[in-house]
Amino acid sequence: MQGFPGVGSDLQTLQASMHAIEHACSLIQMHMNPAEVERVIGSLRSSSMPYQTCRFILEASQMASARFQAAGAIGDAAIREWALLTEENKRSLILFCLNYVMERSSAPEAYVQSKVSSVAARLLKRAWLEFSDSEKVVIFNEVKQSIVGVHGCGPQYAGIHFVELLVSEFSPSTSSAMGLPREFHEQCQSSLERNYLKEFYCWAQAAMLGLADKIMSSSGNVSEERACAGAIRLMFQILNWNFTISDKSNTKSNVLPSGIRHDTVVLKKFDRTLIKPGSAWRDTLISCGHTNWLLNFYGALREKYSYDTLWNDSPLAYSTRQLIVQLCSLAGAVFPSDNGETQIKHLLQILSAILPWVEPPDVIAASIRSGGSESELVDGCHALLSMASLTTTALFDNLLKSLRPYCTVHLLAALTCEVVKALMNNQREEETWAEESLDILLETWNVILEGIYTDRSSISKDGVYAASNLFNVIVESHLKAAADSAFEDADNSEYFHASISKRDERLASYALVARVAAESTVPFLARLFQERFSALSQGLGKSDPTRTLEELYWLLLITGHVLTDSGEGETLLIPEALQMAFPDVVEAAQHPVAMLSWSVIDFSRQCLDPAMRSAYFSPRLMEAVVWFLARWVATYLVPLDTGMGNIKPTISEGVVTNGSQPSRKVLQSFGWENNQGNIILDSAIRISLVALTVYPGENELQALTCQKLLSVLVRRKHICTRVVQLESWREIARAFANENILFSISARSQRSLAETLICAASCLKDSETSLQYLKDVIGPMTACLIENTSRTDLKSVAQQADAIYMVSCLLERLRGAVRATQPRTQKTIFEMGYAVMNPLLSLLEIYKNQSGVVYLVLKFVVDFVDAQVVFLGAKETSILVNFCMQLLQVYSSHNIGKISISLSSSLLSESQSEKYKDLRALLQLLRNMCSKDLVDFSTDAEQEDRPDIAQVVYVGLHIVTPLISLDLLKYPKLSRDYFALVSHMLEVYPEKVAQLNTDAFTHITSTLDLGLRHQDIDVVENCLAAINSLASYHFKERSLGKEGLSLRIVETQGSNGLLQASVTDHFLRLLLQLLLFEDFRTELAGSAADAFLPLILCEQELYQRLIQELLEGQSNPALKSRLASAFNSLTNSNHLSISLDRPNRQKFRKNLHHFLTEISGFVKIK
Amino acid sequence: MSDEEHHFESKADAGASKTYPQQAGTIRKNGHIVIKGRPCKVCSRFVSVEFFLMQVVEVSTSKTGKHGHAKCHFVAIDIFTAKKLEDIVPSSHNCDVPHVNRTDYQLIDISEDGFVSLLTENGNTKDDLKLPTDESLLSQIKDGFAEGKDLVVSVMSAMGEEQICAIKDIGPK
Repeated sequence: MQGFPGVGSDLQTLQASMHAIEHACSLIQMHMNPAEVERVIGSLRSSSMPYQTCRFILEASQMASARFQAAGAIGDAAIREWALLTEENKRSLILFCLNYVMERSSAPEAYVQSKVSSVAARLLKRAWLEFSDSEKVVIFNEVKQSIVGVHGCGPQYAGIHFVELLVSEFSPSTSSAMGLPREFHEQCQSSLERNYLKEFYCWAQAAMLGLADKIMSSSGNVSEERACAGAIRLMFQILNWNFTISDKSNTKSNVLPSGIRHDTVVLKKFDRTLIKPGSAWRDTLISCGHTNWLLNFYGALREKYSYDTLWNDSPLAYSTRQLIVQLCSLAGAVFPSDNGETQIKHLLQILSAILPWVEPPDVIAASIRSGGSESELVDGCHALLSMASLTTTALFDNLLKSLRPYCTVHLLAALTCEVVKALMNNQREEETWAEESLDILLETWNVILEGIYTDRSSISKDGVYAASNLFNVIVESHLKAAADSAFEDADNSEYFHASISKRDERLASYALVARVAAESTVPFLARLFQERFSALSQGLGKSDPTRTLEELYWLLLITGHVLTDSGEGETLLIPEALQMAFPDVVEAAQHPVAMLSWSVIDFSRQCLDPAMRSAYFSPRLMEAVVWFLARWVATYLVPLDTGMGNIKPTISEGVVTNGSQPSRKVLQSFGWENNQGNIILDSAIRISLVALTVYPGENELQALTCQKLLSVLVRRKHICTRVVQLESWREIARAFANENILFSISARSQRSLAETLICAASCLKDSETSLQYLKDVIGPMTACLIENTSRTDLKSVAQQADAIYMVSCLLERLRGAVRATQPRTQKTIFEMGYAVMNPLLSLLEIYKNQSGVVYLVLKFVVDFVDAQVVFLGAKETSILVNFCMQLLQVYSSHNIGKISISLSSSLLSESQSEKYKDLRALLQLLRNMCSKDLVDFSTDAEQEDRPDIAQVVYVGLHIVTPLISLDLLKYPKLSRDYFALVSHMLEVYPEKVAQLNTDAFTHITSTLDLGLRHQDIDVVENCLAAINSLASYHFKERSLGKEGLSLRIVETQGSNGLLQASVTDHFLRLLLQLLLFEDFRTELAGSAADAFLPLILCEQELYQRLIQELLEGQSNPALKSRLASAFNSLTNSNHLSISLDRPNRQKFRKNLHHFLTEISGFVKIK
Repeated sequence: MSDEEHHFESKADAGASKTYPQQAGTIRKNGHIVIKGRPCKVCSRFVSVEFFLMQVVEVSTSKTGKHGHAKCHFVAIDIFTAKKLEDIVPSSHNCDVPHVNRTDYQLIDISEDGFVSLLTENGNTKDDLKLPTDESLLSQIKDGFAEGKDLVVSVMSAMGEEQICAIKDIGPK
């Protein structure tokens, strides 16, 4: 072939290379000698101009995997050597690949053809901005001829597949990097979109039309079906394109009066996006009846193959359905601006075509159960979701009206019912279709129900009725499943957060359905709850209550979800749907929500009765009770003075809401009526106390009590001020401070309990009382710790298990207390911390071999510093800082040079990871101290005698770094923390580095060496930033005539072995090595440039010398001159000056980017 | 209600007891526990353990029937033999937790028959401790000693057994 690059060798050499590669490939298949294989194949990929060899292998080798490797090598080599190839070379490489796949389109190993096609696509993209239009036309003419079917089915498929790969190469998310900046990819993307994408679509359409005739008339030819499926897949992929330039539709309003929406983002959840190709596509997609044709085509095929149950999953059926679902998401200017009429017609067309996929739901579900295919059902659900997202609730609901006597929501409800039934009846089996379609359908419900509140469009009576029915089915099938599973062992997986959050998500979706029909569902829930409750009390002592307990458990969960939102981290509001419902109710006692709430709360209170408790309140049921109360209290005990109407002014406009105003007020206030609020709070506290004391060893329950319920009680001021006045609260505080019983709950729960109790202190209005309360809670803990550490027989007692346990609990409690620090309580808590400082140091000494205790001490100090440091004045700061330094020193003296020895490798790795956790805590401690310099609330005016935090942190680093072995830096979190701290310190206080002693300095620089080669991109970035700060500091000092870091000498890898050099020298060599010869990631080029510039400025002479060395080492004169000019333009183009100001840095970034694209490829050629 | 109640219950002379009962639910990962008479370390806590002296390495919780009580499932490693053991205990029941002591001694000598000579705090020597038999552990100690470093060894003892568990170089740098 004309212009094919590379020097032709003789046949023998070519054959020898081919055999070598074939041999390597056969080794891969036998999983032998991977290092050797990698070397052989790697050498082909990275050799200079391997094209002739590769071509020979592609054409001559009998072994498919060898051909595959050869194709890959062409791609890699060409991208790398791009700058060295002539225009002629490039074109002939692309044409060679294309002809190769066309000619061998029927070859058996499809993966080889696919690889060659993708190489062609990649090279064509690389050449995209260089080739003129006419050159592209030449290439694409060939492709087009094949696609429209001039050369038969085989080449037709090959052409279609090539275009498919080309489109995916041009899409940002699937493109290969090629070492080029983003701008390049963006230009290619928009050029393809503007000039070719629609044309490709038309080719595929033409191919599909031609093939469809043949498929429908003849009896299925395999290769025709394959090509047709390919064409449809290509169309699908083109519609997946992220259209950027063509949509000029005015997005003034998000919702058209007809009910078409433009603001949709929710589709993303199932990997679908809105498709807005713009008006240019109107003729292709809309006006020529394309959709209609496709729907008819699918319908006809479906009929033709109705005897074949497997047909539904054939590639042709699958891709056609995909395309149909994709067409549902069309939006924007592709439709004429006729108030959405065309779009509605379009949606209706699709809806009527997919109805047979999902209707009637019971028949479809039955057929799937008896082995039919579920694909149509799942795709139908996807289509419904797309439609729901594109329309307002009212429009969606009405869509079906023209086709059926009922509305769309009715169909949706019927469909969901069947899926829920199928799922709950076969929970044990692998019924993934039911899971999958339920997820999609619930998402659809979410979309349409959220629509009710955002667009204030309403749902029809029929729809509400359907929703209420659906909820009944949901509750009944879940209750049945709950009762049936009551005797199964609760497995661990239940406590995995993933499955819990999945369950909660689903329950929350059910709750949305329930709320839309609140008039019937809330009383329904209340009735069910009452029934189960009375069944329980009637069966007292007679029958096994387990089934009923599990039903109650589930009812508590769903009721909690219906009445409240989860709102993690937000202030909970009473759900809007419940506020809008029941407009006629004016009395709290009549309000169904109130009635349901009271019956659940009354039930919860039963656990305070010991007889009831031991008979019925299993730990699991208590968990549900505690969870429910936490959410209910946070939602319904709203502050009395703020009415909801004030918070959400938009709602109070509509007619509907005005009518329900009195019932809103009822809902806002019923919690507090007749002193109920206080009684509920009191019960909540007593129930918590029961959960903590009567259920020994139930860690989940206790964690839930401390972290959810009790923390809700103190979170908001209006509740907390009432809580602290209650006798029961004083009781729990007293029990915590003075009684042993609460030492038996898990240490973590003790921590959060302490946190909660201390938090409450700031809600006691009188500062005197508040102080006393704090002292009552904290006093006994600190006193106990101090007293016990001062015991004379401490040494002999301390190692005993109970002593260790007690100390651990106390440390956790103290830690909880400091975490609750607030400005009002800060002083008292500091005094507490101050009192235990010395005991802590002696604990650290005594428990030096009990890593668990050591860790708790460190964590306490970390939290203590974090909570306190910003408030402290000079004197307290220096106390704190001295303490921390002592702590670091004691820790270091015990651990430096220590090697654990154990027979068990897993115990050894445990001790390693304990060390890692300790060190992480120490780094956190240093970081928390740093924050003193950034944020400082202290009112202390005297600045002089305050300790120099930077100094202190460096000393700390000096103590800590020797403990961090290079092995430990392989722990990702530790290394990230470490390098973040180092780069912060070097950036903010470079002048202090100069004062470090040699050991510490060397250690820091050697860790930077390590970090530069780290896998983690953040770490490398931090290191580059650190080097940047060091070099910039040095440069600035020197330009002021000072010595900077010149005296710092480190060992570095010179060209002839190790040598002593300055830091900047060392890093300059290292960075040059990294940039030129190693796999440097282009996304780091920016930060590399920032580090590189000051280094060059500091070491200009050395830099010139190194470049000289490099150039002399290059034997190929052509490459040499390119290299020289690249280096030249790196430092000279763009008017780079000798300074480190921002514009200059920006210029250098640009230069380095050019430099890297220019040379990075060929320098690495071996 | 006095502070008395928070005092460690152990007395200095409570040496007779080698273990202490602690509620299974409060035993954490990396804590110690006795399974089938052996001291162990917990690897993971499925909250469920008989008793050897071990380090607990795993603990997780489960329930007997959904409305039953929690059990701890312990996976633990024998701190002396490295054997892995498992046990299941109701989490409200007590487990025996061994008293595990670690004492540091300066290493004076390694004798040919595999015993070490250690210097105790009060100046006496302790000569009854054998070196570990495992080759790699042995060499870690021997090599350090042969290089003339000042070594401190940590000796872990629990339920009447003893073993070297760590070494530390305290020599001048």
